Amino acid sequence: MSNELFNLRLVSDFNLETLGRYLDNDAAWPPVATSIAPFGQIFPSLLDSAGSHEQNFCFVWSSLEGAVPSFRKMLDFDTVDRTALFAEVSYFADCVKKCHSRFKATFVASWTLPSFYRGLGILDFQNNAGLRRLTLEMNLALIEELDGIAGIYVLDSSRWLEVTANPWSPKLWYLSKTPYRSEVFGRAAQDLKVAIGTVLGSARKLLVIDLDDTLWGGIIGDVGWENIVLGGHDHKGEAFVDFQRALKSLRNRGILLAIASKNQEEIAFQAFENRPEMVLKLEDFAGWRINWNDKAANIAALASELNLGLQSVVFIDDNPVERARVREALPEVLVPEWPDDKTSYASTLLQLDCFDLPQITDEDRSRGQMYLNERQREKGKAEYQSVEEWLHSLETVVTVEELNQSNVPRVVQLLNKTNQMNLSTRRMTENELGAWLKQERRKLWAFRVRDRFSDSGLTGILSLEAGSNGHRIVDFVLSCRVMGRDIERVMVAVAIQYSRSLGVSELTAKYLETAKNKPCRDFWLRSGLTQGVENTFSWDFTRPYPLPAHLEVIGLSDDESKHELLRNREGQVTSALL
Amino acid sequence: MTLGTSNRLDSAFDAIYAAIAELNLQMPKNRQIQPRPDTALFGEKGQLDSLALANFIVITEQKLEESFGIQLDLTQDDPFSGQNGYFGTIESLARYISSFTETKSSE
Repeated sequence: MSNELFNLRLVSDFNLETLGRYLDNDAAWPPVATSIAPFGQIFPSLLDSAGSHEQNFCFVWSSLEGAVPSFRKMLDFDTVDRTALFAEVSYFADCVKKCHSRFKATFVASWTLPSFYRGLGILDFQNNAGLRRLTLEMNLALIEELDGIAGIYVLDSSRWLEVTANPWSPKLWYLSKTPYRSEVFGRAAQDLKVAIGTVLGSARKLLVIDLDDTLWGGIIGDVGWENIVLGGHDHKGEAFVDFQRALKSLRNRGILLAIASKNQEEIAFQAFENRPEMVLKLEDFAGWRINWNDKAANIAALASELNLGLQSVVFIDDNPVERARVREALPEVLVPEWPDDKTSYASTLLQLDCFDLPQITDEDRSRGQMYLNERQREKGKAEYQSVEEWLHSLETVVTVEELNQSNVPRVVQLLNKTNQMNLSTRRMTENELGAWLKQERRKLWAFRVRDRFSDSGLTGILSLEAGSNGHRIVDFVLSCRVMGRDIERVMVAVAIQYSRSLGVSELTAKYLETAKNKPCRDFWLRSGLTQGVENTFSWDFTRPYPLPAHLEVIGLSDDESKHELLRNREGQVTSALL
Repeated sequence: MTLGTSNRLDSAFDAIYAAIAELNLQMPKNRQIQPRPDTALFGEKGQLDSLALANFIVITEQKLEESFGIQLDLTQDDPFSGQNGYFGTIESLARYISSFTETKSSE
């Protein structure tokens, strides 16, 4: 991860200096430097466009009455026009949106009503004048106003207040216009760091898990599958089932699961085959290493098998010795401390923030299934005489499309998460990408891949920029899940055909090396393009770029109403595609 | 159980040091408060600005409530005036707290 220092603008109607101090002093990644807008001037600060262009992120944390002045009257049980009050919520949301246009991402804290307000007591949720009910309604209205705005995220501030029994401090308020005790700001700072890291693409993708005393109770090799602790009328057995449910929920969100266990494989499998209480089935796991080898080596092998870097991996094991070993051997792997108490397993897992994503796409949800299909695909490979024959057998279809509203979240995600097959490793938000593409000299295509085993979804991005000397490939990004199946060559062909159709005389691609994108350079070296100086590759335009015969390429014409399918089996991408 | 003067003073120091450990999480690396009796807190040579002092007061009051089971208002006199002796150093604050708790226990 880069050591770049990120700027964070704090905007509030109260004093956020303590939060700023926590953030500035926290050594955890990502490092941030805060600047604080003058408190008490929330609207001028939100609307002030001057001098904040160097800020990356913005955090807005307001009191109810600071953002919605009519709420002050509600606190006094004065008469308030509800329509006017919700119009103020809308106005606040509009100001946040205007403010957001200057930032990579904007975080907004949800509103909370101090617990010392009893409001209408037992009527507080039942009457339109109830403060607590109104707080919920105002939060919902704010969330709906900001919903769907790329790069704006509403954070649940009630979580920060749970850190202490008395989060509000009237004394601090009167002394320094700070409403909360320090611990609340400490917790908020942690959450903000996670939120910024999430936007920057720090999410982990693979969870490697131990079996004995982790997925079930007991040592299966000693007690047999019949006697492991799982389910039944037993508090620990129930806790293991709930832990498996929590793991399954991660798998359904797109986190890959894998097993690293010191066991005999066929004995471990007996639990999956014979115990109906097993929530997790073998097909829920993208891979496993069940043997007596070093767990660190097994985890590294699993990550490599799944084409993932170690910085994407989390390892859970009940054994502190194994945890220490993996931490020492593989420092990039996240190894959370794990409780001795089995009944805390599920809640400990569900508290982990390392899997947070800035958005969840269809590709995320089906990732586990995709890796299962990949295993079947690889298994079938052995049945063929050559790699070419195997590739033919896959019946791969590549669909090329331009950027549109439905695919932009996935394109942005792919751009920000892909490390290995990535020519320039540009990281951009949706807003930044939209701004970049506004110039007509720039073009971007997305590539979807499916074969007879599965639909891998949107897995490739290609972008071009026209310059005085021809076209330059800016982004060349392909998900590791479809690497090595000649999709790369389709992408190059699209770039070349597009440039040829415009009569451009030169197409170049400049490889920018990172610690993780060597596979990209390897591809360009064998791509057929001529290597020039400084890792620049170019194509001789006197001839078309051949496509592998085993691929079918489908594209939509620019006129979407035609929706004509343009097929290619002859080694050319039809120009109507472009 | 009643505490002797020496025990009261030790407990006051413990509570202050615990508050300092918590406060240091929000203090820059080069302005960490040293948990020593002669560390100057607020005033001319003090290391706390007004916001840090406000946070320190609230944290310390909480620690004292946990340690002694009594509520002590450390802002009875204006802590920001710089004239009050008990925020001069950690030791002066500990002695003030110890004496206050002694008075309270004898009431």
